Amino acid sequence: MNIVACVKQVPDTETLIKVKPDRSGIDETGIKWVMNPYDEFGVEEALRLKEKLSGEVIIVSVGPARALETIRTALAMGAERGIHIVDPALDSADPFTIASALAAAIKNIPYDIIFCGQRAIDDDCGQVGAILAELLGIPQVTVITKVDVDGNTIKVTRPIEGAQLIIESSLPCVVTAQKGLNEPRYASLPGIMKAKKKPVDVKDAASLGVSIDVKAKITKTLPPPARPPGKIICGEDPAEKARELARLLREEAKVI
Amino acid sequence: MELSKFSVGYEGREVFWNAENFEGLLFAFTAVALAIFGYGIYGRWQMWKALGKPETRNDNLKERIKLLLLNGVLQVKTFKDIYPGIMHGLIFFGFFVLIFGAAFDATEFHIAEPLGVPFLTGKFYLIFSFLMDLFGLFVLIGVLMAADRRYITKPDRLGYKGEMDNTPDDAIVLLLLGGIIVTGFIIEALRIHVTNPPWEVWSFAGYTLSKAFASVDNGTAKTLHKITWWVHTFISLGFIAYIPYSRLLHIITTPANHFMSSLKPAGYLEPIRDFETAESFGTGQLEDFSWKQIFDSDACTRCGRCQDGCPAYLSGKHLSPKKLVQDIKTYWLERAPLIVAAKKAAGKAGEGATVEIPAPEKAMVGEVVNLHELWDCTNCMYCMEHCSSSIEHVPKIVGMRQYKVLMEADFAPELQLTFRNMENNSNPWGVGSHLRADWAKDLGIKTLAEDPNVEYLFYVGCSGSFDDRGKKVSMAFAKILQIAGVSFGILGTEEGCCGDSAMRGGNEYLSQTLMQTNIEIMNGYGVKKIICTCPHGYNTLKKDYPHFGGNYEVYHHTEIIADLIAQGKIILKKPVDGLFTFHDSCFLGRYNNIYTQPRSILKALTGMNLAEMERRYDKSFCCGAGGGRMWMEEHDGERINNMRTDQAIATNAHTIAVACPFCLTMMTDGLKARSMEEKIASLDIAEIVWRAMDIEEVKPPVDVCAPTE
Repeated sequence: MNIVACVKQVPDTETLIKVKPDRSGIDETGIKWVMNPYDEFGVEEALRLKEKLSGEVIIVSVGPARALETIRTALAMGAERGIHIVDPALDSADPFTIASALAAAIKNIPYDIIFCGQRAIDDDCGQVGAILAELLGIPQVTVITKVDVDGNTIKVTRPIEGAQLIIESSLPCVVTAQKGLNEPRYASLPGIMKAKKKPVDVKDAASLGVSIDVKAKITKTLPPPARPPGKIICGEDPAEKARELARLLREEAKVI
Repeated sequence: MELSKFSVGYEGREVFWNAENFEGLLFAFTAVALAIFGYGIYGRWQMWKALGKPETRNDNLKERIKLLLLNGVLQVKTFKDIYPGIMHGLIFFGFFVLIFGAAFDATEFHIAEPLGVPFLTGKFYLIFSFLMDLFGLFVLIGVLMAADRRYITKPDRLGYKGEMDNTPDDAIVLLLLGGIIVTGFIIEALRIHVTNPPWEVWSFAGYTLSKAFASVDNGTAKTLHKITWWVHTFISLGFIAYIPYSRLLHIITTPANHFMSSLKPAGYLEPIRDFETAESFGTGQLEDFSWKQIFDSDACTRCGRCQDGCPAYLSGKHLSPKKLVQDIKTYWLERAPLIVAAKKAAGKAGEGATVEIPAPEKAMVGEVVNLHELWDCTNCMYCMEHCSSSIEHVPKIVGMRQYKVLMEADFAPELQLTFRNMENNSNPWGVGSHLRADWAKDLGIKTLAEDPNVEYLFYVGCSGSFDDRGKKVSMAFAKILQIAGVSFGILGTEEGCCGDSAMRGGNEYLSQTLMQTNIEIMNGYGVKKIICTCPHGYNTLKKDYPHFGGNYEVYHHTEIIADLIAQGKIILKKPVDGLFTFHDSCFLGRYNNIYTQPRSILKALTGMNLAEMERRYDKSFCCGAGGGRMWMEEHDGERINNMRTDQAIATNAHTIAVACPFCLTMMTDGLKARSMEEKIASLDIAEIVWRAMDIEEVKPPVDVCAPTE
C-alpha cells in the first residue's frame, strides 16, 4: 500500500499572533511552528495502515524552508520519505494553487490513499483535500473519524449532526482527517535520529510544471477586535438592578 | 572436680577442654566448609561480573572506606530505624565480638600457649568471659526480636500488600544463628558444671545454665559436652558454608554496596551522552543496567525500609521499591548463570569465539518489572535515603522509563501532551511562551536583556511563571528581593522550562534540549548566581546543568531569605497568627539537605508556633508531584497529596508552609479535596515572609460604582 500524507506547517495554537502593521499578513517573528494537528491525524492513520498492510508512507508539504522541520517530524513518526515543495510564489498562495502543486507532485508517485487534514488551523480554508482529489480525478471522503481498508475499497466514518455516515469508496482516494480518527504517536528517539537521514526531495513550482493560477487572494489580515470591557450594574435595590440587567440583555446585548 | 592448672588469681580455662583430640577433624571440616563457601562466592563473583555496563565505583578510596566504616561497621544507616536497627545491631555487634573471641581462643590455643605466653588468663580472662557471654546473649535477643518480627508481629514491610515474603531461608538463617548461640551456651554450661571453677560466675550465662545440669554426673556431662560441641561446630561451619547460598550473603554484598555507594550528589542521574551514535537508549534489558545497578539487587536484604515510606506503595499503588529490586534480582538469578555458561562455552571454544548469549525470554520492562510500578514512582528518594544497603532505586526507574519513552514511545497520553507542550511552548502546561513574564509586568523587574549587570538571576521556572498560585509566590519573592536591595534580574520570555519533569519522566532527549537552550541564554548573559523558588529547577540547575556547560552557583529562595533575615535586610514586623506546619519538599530535603533554612525563616516570625508533622525531614512524605507525576493521572489507590494533606491536618495547623510550587499545588488541592480550604491555608514561605514584612499598602477596595469623572 502506497500512502501519501499531506502536511502543512502552521503556528502553534498558543503562540502569539501579531498582524503586520500593513495588514498584509501575520508577523512571523517568534512564532513556534508545528504540524497542523488535523494533518497529524492523517499521518498517524497513514502509518497505522502501513504497519498493518505494509508499504510506504510519503509526506508531501508545500511551504517555505522552515516547513522541512514539519516533514522531518512526520518522518520521525515513521514515514519513509518526503517531498518538500518550496517556492516563494506558493508562500501565500490560495488553496487551489497549493492543491495544484500537491497534485503535480503526487501524480508522479504511486499512491493508493492520500491523507490530508480536514482543514488547517491557521487559515481554516478546508479546501485543499477536496481540490486535490478533483485535480487527480479520484474520489474524496472528507472529515473522517474512522478508516478501514479492505482490498481495493475503503470504508470510512464521517460524523454529521446527530448521526454518522459510513461511506465506501474505491481506491485510490483522498481522505481528510478529523479529530477523533486516532491519537497521534510520540516519535521515538531512534525515529527522530533516523528521520534526519531520510530522503526529502525538494521541488519548486517550475520543476513540477505547476502554473501559478491564483483564484483567490487575501487582501487584508485583521486582528480580532479587542474585547469590550465588562459592565457592572450599580445601585442599591437588587430588584432595580435585576430590571436594569434584563433591559441591557434585551436592548443592548439582544440576547433575550 | 577435675584438676586444673588454673586457680583463683590465675583464672582461665583450657581452650579445647574435653575436645583435645578433635583438632584434626575440626580443621578438616573447616576446610570443607570454607571450600563450599569459596565455591559459592566464586560462582557469585562470576555472576556479578557476567553482565552490566561498566561503571567506576572504586575511585576516591578515602571516602569509600569512610562509608564502609560508617554504614558497614558502625551500621549508621541501619540504626536510622530504631527497632530493626537495634535488632540487627545486637546480632551484628554480638557476632562481631564473638568472632573476635573465637580468634582470641584460637590464638591462645595455637600460638600463645605453645609459645608459653598464654594471655587468656587472670582478669583479662574474666572480662573476656563476661563479654563473650554478654554479646552471645545480645545475639540471642536479636535473633528472638527478628523471629518475633518475621513470624509474630509481621510488619507490612516484610511483605508486599499484606502477604509476607518469607522464605525457608529466612527461617534457616535464624535457626542457625540461634543454634550457634544456644549450643555455645550449653557447651559452656557443661564445662562449668564439670570443672566448676569459682570464677566462672563471670561467664554469667553459662554459669546460670550450668545449674540446670546440677543432677547430671560428670561422665554423662562430658559425653553431652562432646556431642553438643560437635553440634555447635557443625552449625557454625554450616553457617559459613551457607553464606553464599542464602540471605546471609548480605554479610558480603551489603558492606560492599556501602563501599561502592554513589559519591555523586543525591539523586544524581547520569546523562545520556551519545544521542547521535547510540542505537539503544535507557534500560530495556538487564544488560543495559550497569554492573553496579545489578549488584545493588544482590545487596538487598528485603528489609522493606524503602517500602515503609514509599508514597506510591503507601497510597495503594503497585510500586514497592523492595519488590522492584527483588524482581530485578530474581531475573538476574535466571539470566546470569546462562550468560556465565555461554561465556565459559565460548572460552572453551578458544580465543575469538563469540559469546552466544541466549536471548531473554521476558521483556524486562513490562514483564520483569511491572509498568505500573515504573510510572508510580515520584522520585521522592525516600527509598534511597533509608536503604540500609545503599541501593539506588531511582536511577534504575528513570533508566527504564527512558527506554519506554525514547525507544518505544509507549507511555501515558497525558505525559505525551506534557512533553509536546514543553517542546512547543517550553512549559508543561502549553501556555504560550510569550506569556512567561506576564507575572512580573507591574513589578519593575528588569530582564537580563535590559540589564545583565546584576548579581543574581531569578530563574522563575514554569510554575512561577504560568500557574496562578505560583505567580503569586514569584511576585512575593521578587518584592522581598527588591525591598532587601538584592541586585537581580529575570530572563523574561527568554527563560525556558528547566527540564526536570522531562528528565524524570524518561524524556532525556527533550530535557537536554531544554537545558541546553537555557544554558545558551544564561551563558550569553554571563550568569553566575541563580535563585530558584522551585526545588525542581533548583536541583536540576545545580546538578544536571553542569553536564552541558551550565556552571552556576544555584540557591533556593529559602536559603536566600534565611540569609536576608539573618543579615537584618528584611524585617518581619507583623506577627503571625495560628499554628503552622512545614512540609519538606523531597527535592529540597532529601535531594539537597535543605531542612533548617525554611524552619529558621519560620522561627524568625513573631508569634510563630510550629507543629511538625510525624513524617518530616528526611522521612518526609512526598506530595505526589515529583518524577513527572505532577503531569500524570493518579489512577490507583489513594491520592498521595490527600494523604499528605491529612498528615498536615492532623497537626491542627492553620497554615501549611511549603517551599515548592508543586507541593503548593498538591497541598492546595488536598485541602480542597478534604473541604478544609476555608480553615487551613497553604502558603509558600515567600508569601508568609512577604506578609510578615507588612510593606505592601493595603489597596482600598475599588468602588466600581463610584461615579467616574
